[in-house]
Amino acid sequence: MIVIRCPYCDELRHEEELEYGGEAEIVRPAPPESVSDEEWAAYLYMRTNTKGHHHEQWCCRAGCGQWFKVVRDTVSHEVHEILRFDGTFSHPTEE
Amino acid sequence: MAARETGFRLDGGCLIERSKPLQFRFNGKPMLGFKGDTLSSALLANGVGLLGRSFKYHRPRGIYGAGLEDPNAMVAVRDAYGYEPALRAGQVRLAEGLDAHTVTGWPSVDFDIGALAQLGMRFMKAGFYYKTFMWPTWGLYEPYIRKPTGFGSAEPVKPRHSEQRHDICDVLIIGGGVAGITAACGLLGAGLKVVLADEQPRLGGALMREGVTINGRPGAEWAVEQQAVFEAADEIDVLTDTVVTGAYEGNFFTLLQSDHDAGGAGQAGGLRSERLWKLHARYVVLATGSLDRPLVFEDNDRPGVMLSSAVGRFVGEYGVAPGRTVGIFTNNDSGHLTALSLLQAGLHVSAIIDTRLAPESPGVEATAAAGIRRLSGAEVVGTSGYKGLRSIDVAPVGGGAAERIDCSVLALSGGRTPLIHLATHLGVKPVFNPESGEFICPYVPDGWHIVGDAGGFSSFAKAINDGLEVSAVIRTTTGAGPFSWDVPKLSALESAPSAAFWKSNAGNPARMWVDLQNDVTVADIELAVREGYVSVEHLKRYTTLGMGTDQGRTSNINGLAILAGLTGRDIGDVGTTTFRPPYTAVRLSAIAHIRQNDIYRPRRRMPAHDAHIAGGAVFEDFGWQRPDWYHANGADRETAVAAEMVAVRGAVGLFDGSPLGKIEVTGPDAATFLDRFYVSNIMTLKPGRIRYSVMLKEDGVIFDDGVLTCIDEGYYLAGPSSGNAEMVASWFERWRQTEWPALEVGIAPVTSNWASVAIAGPRARELLAKLNPGVDLSSTAFPHMSYRECRLGGVAARISRVSFTGELQYEISVPARYGHDLVDQLMGEGEALGIQMVGMEAWLRLRLEKGYLHVGSDTNGRTTPGDIGMGGIVERKIADFIGKRSLSLAFSGSDEREELVGLHAGQGRLAPGGRIMAPDAVSAPCVTEGYITSACYSPSLGKDIGLALIERGRSRMGETVRIYDNGGVVEAEICSPVFYDPDNERLRA
Repeated sequence: MIVIRCPYCDELRHEEELEYGGEAEIVRPAPPESVSDEEWAAYLYMRTNTKGHHHEQWCCRAGCGQWFKVVRDTVSHEVHEILRFDGTFSHPTEE
Repeated sequence: MAARETGFRLDGGCLIERSKPLQFRFNGKPMLGFKGDTLSSALLANGVGLLGRSFKYHRPRGIYGAGLEDPNAMVAVRDAYGYEPALRAGQVRLAEGLDAHTVTGWPSVDFDIGALAQLGMRFMKAGFYYKTFMWPTWGLYEPYIRKPTGFGSAEPVKPRHSEQRHDICDVLIIGGGVAGITAACGLLGAGLKVVLADEQPRLGGALMREGVTINGRPGAEWAVEQQAVFEAADEIDVLTDTVVTGAYEGNFFTLLQSDHDAGGAGQAGGLRSERLWKLHARYVVLATGSLDRPLVFEDNDRPGVMLSSAVGRFVGEYGVAPGRTVGIFTNNDSGHLTALSLLQAGLHVSAIIDTRLAPESPGVEATAAAGIRRLSGAEVVGTSGYKGLRSIDVAPVGGGAAERIDCSVLALSGGRTPLIHLATHLGVKPVFNPESGEFICPYVPDGWHIVGDAGGFSSFAKAINDGLEVSAVIRTTTGAGPFSWDVPKLSALESAPSAAFWKSNAGNPARMWVDLQNDVTVADIELAVREGYVSVEHLKRYTTLGMGTDQGRTSNINGLAILAGLTGRDIGDVGTTTFRPPYTAVRLSAIAHIRQNDIYRPRRRMPAHDAHIAGGAVFEDFGWQRPDWYHANGADRETAVAAEMVAVRGAVGLFDGSPLGKIEVTGPDAATFLDRFYVSNIMTLKPGRIRYSVMLKEDGVIFDDGVLTCIDEGYYLAGPSSGNAEMVASWFERWRQTEWPALEVGIAPVTSNWASVAIAGPRARELLAKLNPGVDLSSTAFPHMSYRECRLGGVAARISRVSFTGELQYEISVPARYGHDLVDQLMGEGEALGIQMVGMEAWLRLRLEKGYLHVGSDTNGRTTPGDIGMGGIVERKIADFIGKRSLSLAFSGSDEREELVGLHAGQGRLAPGGRIMAPDAVSAPCVTEGYITSACYSPSLGKDIGLALIERGRSRMGETVRIYDNGGVVEAEICSPVFYDPDNERLRA
């Protein structure tokens, strides 16, 4: 069970209260017409599938509804870092 | 020959209450036990030795363990609260009126015809069924072979009552034996919230069966005292009758707590309810102890052969002797300790067969001093007694003359297996410690401590020490300060670790059982090895070793050791199989809890639900409870649907569209924001106007359609389809937060704030006028695709002139609480105009005649705007929108795309799912070029019509295609999807 403290509402949330949003830091090409088909397809489909520290998006779905970023170890599920989207706030993982 | 010896009741037994006798039945026979008994102990006390037949050979089997480790004692149990077809008797708490039956053996467990299978035993080795029944296919034989297998028979029952509880604690102590109790004592006064869970009805663990004194009194009494101290303290929650069933990431645990009602004095009892805990802990103390391992020898499966720890538990906890004369077969000291407690209980120990040549330890000395005969360097090589043990044959290890020794019980102690399943749930791979002959944890998960026997070979003194040390560490880490507590003074016999001895060297391997439940013998493992199954995971699946309901608790390690011996490897190199949660079987009712039937997912009702009931609605679940059709309009569905369609086409119909999505998007950047979602240009949408469009995912595929209303500058109302209402709101919100945080825009999902009722038909305007909206309803003042706000009877209302049916149509929205009144008023005023309520089916058929698509039905996971004829709109839009770039990828421009077109049949019937056959195909199976997405009989056209996604469909107008559907073939002609009023005259009337 993954437990993450939401960096917005500051509540400890269980996995079932959260929504997983996949890999973070996927940059949408701007403008989209400026990139090749291959680059666009990479943006759409290619993911790192990291074993270890993985940057990903989560949403405090049953709580405040805010999206935030998490660095999680995909092997141990240990959460190393929690970030707001503007990057201004990080919360220690230790509870 | 003397009658077979059976079990009987002794004095003592710290778990039972002799003042509370309980009556129960076993295979129909009335029996007596006491409150606190398990079904196993009560059966033994009543002299029941034979409890089942083995899985494959139907050999007689008896009670082998005292708890959930027992591979044999499967019973069907009915109590006052429910029925289960296959439980382990050691896990069933006795209750008044309990009715238990054996689940194996036919016609009875005592006389089992299936036992004839033993005559064919030598042919029925591992893989027998798969090897033998190969021609022509396994599938031909499977039903006949499966039939006699399995345990018990299922029957529909009312689920047992259950509840769930979520909690967080500082320290979870798993196991209430001496180590767990000591750890809890050490944490008293630390200001930490502690949960102490134990499977038994009270704390004590091994103290309840072994002759240990603490502070000068029996250990079991000390445990009871400590439990009272914990229960009086606010900071410690003692959960007895509780099994920790799983450990998950982040130190999250599931615990199953049972609530037993023993009943009594004629009042039936049983398992009243269960509570599933979902518990989070900062620190974990694993004090689960260990389990005795059996030894393997010829005919080791006879009823009466059982684990030494089980014999100890029956005597110490339940005051039950499994038999009068007991033999003990051991490779370590714990067999000697069991012998001492049996002597104390007044039983006769006929001999201790110790595999060690010259054992030396306080335990050995004590049994010698008590005058118990010991055969050192000896092993059991055979047994006799078909339905119950009568004697054992003992010979020196390595060969020699065998001696026959009479006993009705043989207690086995082949060393200990630490119970580390929970740690392995978190990915810890156990390693083999050759010194103690045990698999132990090489490391512990974060925040965990392992104490006592669970950590490997231990003793009572070490367990106490472990518990105190761990509590000191936790106190230091949390800043709780040192404890002041008197260390308990222990008096116990120190013991030495076991000798490496797994199975007897003499005897027939085909009669040496490793897994008693699945009838896996040493010979089966030998065969598996000969055939190349040398990986432990392969061995398990090939022989079914450890795959029974006992999950191999008594068989796994012996199986590994024998495999290691046969393949010349160290046990540690063979490794163990993977343990996964749950630790023991959990009833689905406890997991499902109240999430069943109507509570599984709440039924959503529309605000005017009762008005629809009054109209005779037949409801269906579309995420909301929606009328499919109305009884008031016809006796059967087809008649009613036809009448409802006639009303809309000829007069006016009322359709409740409240579930239609409503999302208010506001702010200075609202238009810019929305323009990035819809394929149409939103920037040009003026206040009071409505536009239909579709939304794409970034891959260019349509995921929703709907109308967008511009209520005012910077104030929009998006109307996603009913089924996507929540999803679209989340989709908007995610892009706002994660991609475009700089845009000033607010998103408010307001779907359920409003009741929305559509009135459609040529007389809809007349009807709306009767409500005096105070708005000019003329077509010039209030044209199609426009929006007005007004007051109806003093209530704020929103009116959208949109159409899904192809008729003049208004959608009237009022605050949800006025929905019922609005429906009543419209039905009242409309009566003179011929109004009818219209259900989903008629509504969808009306839109099909008009050729309007239904996202999800008429589109699929590949459909792009070009496929549904919106390519021109996309091309005209200059600004970027989600998914636009993908529409210039190669797939989108392919000339083989399936395009949405209409189909009309002559005489034939069209149905959704019908496949469009390739032009040259004569009969199925064949290549197909698309399929029918929607179809119905059209009253307006007098024939079946449909929508279909067909390759290059729009360039094939007028072509007749053949459609395969459920074995039949029909012909239909490709046409425009708009069947009704193609010039939109009625729509704009």
